[in-house]
Amino acid sequence: MNSLPSEQNPTPESGAGAVGKPRAAVVIGGNRIPFARSGGSYAYSSNQDMLTAALDGLVARFGLQGDRIGEVAAGAVLKHSRDFNLTREAVLGSALAADTPAYDVQQACATGLETVIGLSNKIKLGQIESGIAGGVDSASDAPVAVSEGLRRVLLDFSRARTTSQKLAALRKLRPADLSPDAPSTAEPRTGLSMGEHQAITTARWNITRQAQDELSLASHVRMAEAYDRGFFDDLVTPFRGVSRDSNLRPDTSLSKLGSLKPVFGRNLADEATMTAGNSTPLTDGAAVVLLGSEEYARENNLPMLANVVDAEAAAVDFVHGKEGLLMAPVYAMPRLLQRNNMTFDDFDFFEIHEAFAGTVLASLAAWEDDDFCRKQLGLPGALGTVDRSKLNVNGSSLAAGHPFAATGARIVASLAKSLAEKGSGRGLISVCAAGGQGVVAILEAR
Amino acid sequence: MEQLLHAPPRLTALYAAALARSAKPGRSREAGSLRLPTDRHRLDGVTAVPEKVREFQHLMRSPQTAFLPSGYLHIVAFPVAVSVLARPDFPLPLLGMIHLRNEVQHLRPVPTDARLSVVAGVENLRPHRSGTQVDVVVEVEAAGVPVWTGRSTYLAKGIQASSTLSAPSTPAEPGRDEGLPAFPTGEWSLSADTGRRYAAVSGDYNPIHLGVPSARLLGMKRPIAHGMYLASRMVAEAGPGEDAGFRWTVEFRTPVPLPSKILLSAQVDRSDSAKWHGAEVVAWDPRRRRAHFVGRLEALG
Repeated sequence: MNSLPSEQNPTPESGAGAVGKPRAAVVIGGNRIPFARSGGSYAYSSNQDMLTAALDGLVARFGLQGDRIGEVAAGAVLKHSRDFNLTREAVLGSALAADTPAYDVQQACATGLETVIGLSNKIKLGQIESGIAGGVDSASDAPVAVSEGLRRVLLDFSRARTTSQKLAALRKLRPADLSPDAPSTAEPRTGLSMGEHQAITTARWNITRQAQDELSLASHVRMAEAYDRGFFDDLVTPFRGVSRDSNLRPDTSLSKLGSLKPVFGRNLADEATMTAGNSTPLTDGAAVVLLGSEEYARENNLPMLANVVDAEAAAVDFVHGKEGLLMAPVYAMPRLLQRNNMTFDDFDFFEIHEAFAGTVLASLAAWEDDDFCRKQLGLPGALGTVDRSKLNVNGSSLAAGHPFAATGARIVASLAKSLAEKGSGRGLISVCAAGGQGVVAILEAR
Repeated sequence: MEQLLHAPPRLTALYAAALARSAKPGRSREAGSLRLPTDRHRLDGVTAVPEKVREFQHLMRSPQTAFLPSGYLHIVAFPVAVSVLARPDFPLPLLGMIHLRNEVQHLRPVPTDARLSVVAGVENLRPHRSGTQVDVVVEVEAAGVPVWTGRSTYLAKGIQASSTLSAPSTPAEPGRDEGLPAFPTGEWSLSADTGRRYAAVSGDYNPIHLGVPSARLLGMKRPIAHGMYLASRMVAEAGPGEDAGFRWTVEFRTPVPLPSKILLSAQVDRSDSAKWHGAEVVAWDPRRRRAHFVGRLEALG
């Protein structure tokens, strides 16, 4: 048995809790490439191309050329098997020092936020001084796999030693095996797409079409305003001729959104309310965040936008419909607030990832529901109401689009900047993910 | 009487013979002439083929345990059951019979390499609103101990049993929306080769499941999914995750044409300690809102 590190080396860096508060992990800044709708401007850019571009933009912004960073963590949800070391390969192709270590993370749409949490914890523990967290996804350059039948034939063929064994392997090939398998957004265990799952949750919580379209409109309007006032100038670096997120519709309106036909929930008994306007499209893009200790930031004359305070992950039993697929953040939130002795009133910004407008609105409704909070969350009453004027103030995924693994770093960088601009206060992040998972986190102004 | 089989019956040969017979008109089906054979067929020393079991587990998305899945035991026993239906003195046409219902008691875990005995017979010939139905009763034993019993109900359409039999007790035609759940818990995308893939692991190459041309031979426009494929997936999806100790029934309401996408609701009853008590399953056609099958699973007390 290993003894506890704190017993061997009782320094403040060695752990939280008994010995003392760990040191701060600071968000220094972020960079992303504009997000582009799938099949558009980045149709021929790979995950590695986009992640490298996002890293190089960050390097340029903070003067990190040739620097060895403590560790780089990133990931992609739709990932080709050849990209097993995607992040390390992107680092090697970037202007960072070649001796910068890197690792890949995959937690579906929570990937980006999880990399921020993991590296922040290493910084807090004193294991690293600096880190770059992020994610990338391409729905355009998605891996297409050979069919299960062809895959088996090829594997058997490669294992065969004699000619007759090789022929026997090939004889098992059927014409249908030649059609490829494209990735889908269906949940493996239920076969329902994420949109169909959300349509059930949206209907269960009686979220109206009007409310969803209004949330979507607010996202577009706020993000367009944020671009116009230059908020994204030091958060986004143009790529492949794109300088703003291509999904952004500054001129959209409730009547335009209201004219769209529903795309999810059409098989339900209730009226279908989810459209392409109040659901995120498949998107390509990459985003990264530079994290560091206070010492690292000071020594390198780098800004300190916000502290990464704490985070919590949760998962729900969605397989047979006990809970909605994207409702896990609802369960993570009270655990995180309780541990930090906080309520919604302690926050100035709420960043709730808009996978679908229905996801955000169902989460808000659940936290306001006395009965649900008692029965499902084990609370004495409703968790509370999120002030809508503090919600996604610079727009979110409905406007920007949602390259799955990149979304977490987009949100962390934007929220950290909002906190730095305000100069005080706290921000709460909530990200839902496939597999019935969710991650929530707290950032604090410095 | 028990008739001991000396070798496993070959399903394709039984089907081919039945297909040849069905092509020849003139076999008398007059009311009152229907009588079931009373002989039961027995086959000893039956073993599962490990590769086929593995394929079956992949197809059903069930975990690869060292025990035979409930649905696979049906496959093990099926040739013996069909050998009874293919007897010259069995009064209904083997091909084109429709699988209406299945009831299984899975009593004990059956190791993949177990040597099994299978006994099959037919009973309970009775009228149905659109023909005649019959039960095929199968028992699987390991070392003389019953491990699995199954009762499959089949319908021969358009053939009327004797009027001396009791009046039809079958439920009325299921209507649209009848008892369908408000929300699905899953969707099954059944590709055109679903029937061929199940045939490859089960050996059940009944032409109505294979493709359009072979289904047309038997008067169907499109091939349909094997009932036991649907039932086995249902058990894998909503079952206890254990290797025995449960009972399940499935009623097939309307055939599932291939390819198709069907919705399903599986309501699993678990206590707070996560102990599995049972499940109710409904699968339906989302466009017509008509049930394909209804299933129920429960733990044996």
